[in-house]
Amino acid sequence: MLHVENLTKKLPDGRLLLDRVSLKVSRGEFVGILGASGAGKSLTLRCILGLTKADSGTATLHTEACGGKSYDLLTCKGREQRNCRRRMGVIFQGFNLVKRLRVLDNVMIGRLARIHPLRSWLYGFTDAEAAEALEALRRVKMDMHADRITGSLSGGEMQRVAIARAIFQKPAIYLADEPIAALDPSNSLGIMKLLAPLAQETPVVGVFHQPEMTARFCTRVVAIKAGRVVYDGDPRLSHNQLQDIYGDELMQVLRPAPTTPEPAIAESSRSLPVLANFA
Amino acid sequence: MSTLTAAPALTPAAYVPPSAQFRRRMIWLGSCALLMVLGGVYLKFKPWMLFTDFHHLVRLGGEMLPPNLAMLWHKPALFKTIGETVAMSFLGTLLGGAVAFVLAFFASRNTAPHRLLRAFTRLGFGLERATPNFVVLLVLFIAFGYGPFAAMLALALGSVGLFGKLFADAIEQADPGPCESVASVGATRLQVIRYAIIPQILPSVVANSFYAFDVNLRAAIALGVYGGGGIGFELQLAMKVLRYPDVLALILFIIVLITGMERVSDFVRRRLIQSSESLK
Repeated sequence: MLHVENLTKKLPDGRLLLDRVSLKVSRGEFVGILGASGAGKSLTLRCILGLTKADSGTATLHTEACGGKSYDLLTCKGREQRNCRRRMGVIFQGFNLVKRLRVLDNVMIGRLARIHPLRSWLYGFTDAEAAEALEALRRVKMDMHADRITGSLSGGEMQRVAIARAIFQKPAIYLADEPIAALDPSNSLGIMKLLAPLAQETPVVGVFHQPEMTARFCTRVVAIKAGRVVYDGDPRLSHNQLQDIYGDELMQVLRPAPTTPEPAIAESSRSLPVLANFA
Repeated sequence: MSTLTAAPALTPAAYVPPSAQFRRRMIWLGSCALLMVLGGVYLKFKPWMLFTDFHHLVRLGGEMLPPNLAMLWHKPALFKTIGETVAMSFLGTLLGGAVAFVLAFFASRNTAPHRLLRAFTRLGFGLERATPNFVVLLVLFIAFGYGPFAAMLALALGSVGLFGKLFADAIEQADPGPCESVASVGATRLQVIRYAIIPQILPSVVANSFYAFDVNLRAAIALGVYGGGGIGFELQLAMKVLRYPDVLALILFIIVLITGMERVSDFVRRRLIQSSESLK
């Protein structure tokens, strides 16, 4: 379905943010991308979506519907790019819903690319589309809130609405950028329980910070470290593998060892050369 | 010595002693006072005139009283002129607002098709705001003749600059997250504007429109004095024929009109904002 190969992104000064990232997602998969902050997980998704321009590499999306058309995601522009985006349902970390619109309107935005632009301006969506959007909301158990203003929802509720929008969009693949990073544990669990069955129909690629969640729900895990794919395989990672991915610093946070560097810090702050000079 | 070289990074460089602060304050005050005196001398302003010539003001006040409130029923045409003034400001605000609403998207960083176009539109708004209303009116008189139509157009043109800047600022402050997510489903630029930006800026557009209506109502009266018609023109006529009780009555009507309209627009605005807040 989704095939990313040698995706590379550089800073203007030549530093590599993404270094030949390759990954493959096929039908029925729920792929979790893990990695420390700044490793390039979200950037990978943004490049696939065309929200950030990649420097080199390829990303192709094959769809089984519409006669097995495939889309070149990195080079497309304009109308072609909108066609690509239409086939990717995106779920953002910050939900990114339009807070002043009703919940149902936000779900219906998922179909904007399929209706005539003139109709979207002058008339809006039809009753039939609204009924279908309500069905999508029912699937995430938010149909009773359809008429509320989105800004009044809680974070977990907003993320459900965002998922309903992605479902209503009928994409060929779901891309989720840290969908549970801003949620509490029970809401996170709820979102994962929604995404896992979705993945059985349409593949889901998600960026996560919770190895225990990906171990429980994902079918495969890809780990990125400093812009490079360092692991691709079974979602149940061992302690050593996690240490490789997140580096030693994180492991120290998780298991604080009796520290020795503290006196050194105290010493340097005690000297206060300025005050000494004033006196 | 090594501690000395390390010191500069932590020295409070911006420190100003109180005595210097006092001196600085005195210099500012002194220059303001000097400018005031110079201005007074230039205008031949004599403060004692406020006391020696005060009786003129008292006499004028005496001539104005009692206000000729009977105008209200003896002169039904008065209502027509009040209606003219209100219609002028209402239509001017609506027309100017509509034009500015479209132009504002060209003047905002996040929606402008091109950087230069944005700078150009912003410059236009600025120039427009810098042009006094009555200068525009005088030009329009030449084109359309005296009367409320020219005044309405002058108000509309005057609103474009103010509205344009306010709307463009609101658009630039819109949260980019929803715009990005609406774009991510494959929406066109125009669809992003319609579904992500307009819902976000609508409350500010409504509130600013009511504010501009209040401003334009005052301006409509002033433009009336120059020949734009409406109650301002009536006031100027009464002054020219020295009917001071009429003048006072008209001034009272204007005060009532402005405060009344302000109350109405304030009420509607608050209701609109409240309803959108409570839905939120």
